[in-house]
Amino acid sequence: MRKVFLAAMLAGFIVYAGMNLSESVTPYVSIAEATAATGSVQVKGLRDENFEPRQVDSEFIFNLRDEETGEILPVRFTGVKPDQFDEAYHIVAVGKYDAEEETFRAKKLLIKCPSKYEGQKPQ
Amino acid sequence: MNWKIFGAISAAAVTAASLYLWILIFTDDFSVQYVAAYSSTQLPTLYKISAFWAGQQGSFLLWLLIHALAGLVLVFRKTPAPALAVYFALELLLIIFVLANSPFAPNPVEVSEGVGLNPLLQDFWMAIHPPVIFAGYALLAVPLSLSIGALFKSAASKSWLEPARKWTLVAWSLLGAGIFIGGYWAYKVLGWGGYWAWDPVENSSLVPWLLSAVLLHLINLAQKKSAVLPLAHIAAVFTYSLVIYGTFLTRSGILGDFSVHSFAGSDVGLTTALADALVLIGGLAIIFVKAKNFPTGRMYERYSEPAFVVLLGMLLLIFVAVIVWLGMSMPLFTLALENPAAVGEEFYVKSTAPIAAVLFALAVYSLAKFRMSLGGKIAHAGFVFGLAAVVISSSGETVTAELANGVETELAGHRIIYSGQIIEARQKFYVYSVDGQEVRALTKLRGNGEDAAREPAILKNISGDVYLAPHPPKNILAQEIILERGRFAMDGELGYTFDSAEISYDAENNPVRASAKIEVTDGVQTETIEPQIEVTADGGSSSAIEILGGRRRVRLTGISGDKLKARLEILPALAEISAVPVTTTVSTKPLIWLLWLSAAAICAGTLAAVKK
Repeated sequence: MRKVFLAAMLAGFIVYAGMNLSESVTPYVSIAEATAATGSVQVKGLRDENFEPRQVDSEFIFNLRDEETGEILPVRFTGVKPDQFDEAYHIVAVGKYDAEEETFRAKKLLIKCPSKYEGQKPQ
Repeated sequence: MNWKIFGAISAAAVTAASLYLWILIFTDDFSVQYVAAYSSTQLPTLYKISAFWAGQQGSFLLWLLIHALAGLVLVFRKTPAPALAVYFALELLLIIFVLANSPFAPNPVEVSEGVGLNPLLQDFWMAIHPPVIFAGYALLAVPLSLSIGALFKSAASKSWLEPARKWTLVAWSLLGAGIFIGGYWAYKVLGWGGYWAWDPVENSSLVPWLLSAVLLHLINLAQKKSAVLPLAHIAAVFTYSLVIYGTFLTRSGILGDFSVHSFAGSDVGLTTALADALVLIGGLAIIFVKAKNFPTGRMYERYSEPAFVVLLGMLLLIFVAVIVWLGMSMPLFTLALENPAAVGEEFYVKSTAPIAAVLFALAVYSLAKFRMSLGGKIAHAGFVFGLAAVVISSSGETVTAELANGVETELAGHRIIYSGQIIEARQKFYVYSVDGQEVRALTKLRGNGEDAAREPAILKNISGDVYLAPHPPKNILAQEIILERGRFAMDGELGYTFDSAEISYDAENNPVRASAKIEVTDGVQTETIEPQIEVTADGGSSSAIEILGGRRRVRLTGISGDKLKARLEILPALAEISAVPVTTTVSTKPLIWLLWLSAAAICAGTLAAVKK
């Protein structure tokens, strides 16, 4: 009885955690893959210098440029421009591609600055 | 072997090394790379103390220091020799971490000033957060040592449980306090509106904390039910190996693309991974070898008995820990694949919420039905109210809007007015009024006048907080002009004449300070100003000075070596900057104070439970 109970709990948990995990994993993809994907993904890119980022009400709009192919991905981020955006060397956008609007709807932005928490190494 | 002498020598040596690092910091010895990277001559005393643990290398030394000092307590408390042997073996691992990544490494370049502590970290709570966290980590080595030490003698031994219970209580309280302090700091300083982001660095301290809660309950239970003894041993091993696992995950650079706490990648990855494997495999192997000698019997007789409720609760806590562990380790698991993946915040919230709801019910049931020490009651009540506060405080509203100066706007149910900026030395404030009460959002400024760290403004109320995070446009209306000596130049309205410059040098002929004499005129009034610039490791530091009765503010940003050219940044008057609208995110955090209070109750109750 005890063993059955424990086994049932464990089996239930494995199924539960596995289901949640497979739903939530957001793979790291290129811009080309992001526009083809249906689920949530993470795209890494550089800031497109040819497009002036702007804030429209509670959305922040900018363009992401693929480091290798140079492809451009328009991004709409629900939120305000992150502080280190201008100094960023890499931007990771997490969200889904909206095929109708041809924009990437980002729920989260990770800004990669070389010196955010670690001090800059003295020259 | 005389353990007292051994423990004293080890503690003395590590203390001496630590004091030496502090001496290097306080004497501004920038020939040591670590000092140059995290301290500077102008750092206030509190942050010079905390510069010790501002970086990776120093924080390992801090961990070692606390471990060695706790070791000194252990040797004087009649701790059995096998346990001491394990404890000092674990200390050896920490010594290897420190040696592999020494804070005493010489600086390859000569500098006269350090970079200084990141302004975000120049906060009281951030100064004490690392020592509290590392004290928690360090003390979790004690229950592991007592557990393995006891196994060497006899698998049936229960005498290790009482000292292990006390040490685990203290470690759990400290680690919890460290986590809560980190969350409070994030809320108060970072301005994104939350206190917990499920970032891998945060998760890597949460998992050992959850596991040590399991350890604590199992130790308690094992004192009454011998059959639980093997589980307590297993929990001790897993708890400490997860401490090291978290260190490995966050310090190895694997998470570089996934965590906002970008610890620069370093070579501690392999060392910590090996140490972790050693603790986990070694610990489990000893338990396995001794398995046949463990006491047998039933863990519980009836489902209504406390033992069952506790065991069920612990199983659920382990489930939560496994979920967080899986989530934070995804980048590592998928590293081998072509496209590594991470999980989003929703994963943690969605998967842990139902389990947390059951844990909430179990805690309420236990409080109502079972006998508990006063400390235990306080801690469990803290857990119950804390969970409730998490849910309630996140039910607030969040709105982002552009706020024009002086215009009242109704946002998230509050009357908000933005009323401009105030600048004081290296601080700038965005001033708001919320329902008639003034609140200020502090922005710390860099030496060159740029924003370095922007904090939110928080209006605290009994009903909860109103949280305002300003997102001002960058470098509003600043213009820069280059002045040539003796020539007249204009910025559109005012005229500038650069008369002369002075540069002072230190003994090694490096520039230290420069100043310029500049005549300013609007055609009617004329004024001579002498702006200064100090050379610092991050470029230069100069503050803006007001000219012609506050019509403009100017800042010297450079002087050529031949003193023929000066660069001047011209900023509009403060009133003009204040007139620019500022986009602000306004959110309400109902009853958030209950969360801080509950966190304090959890830590205090746990400490009170040390005395049974």
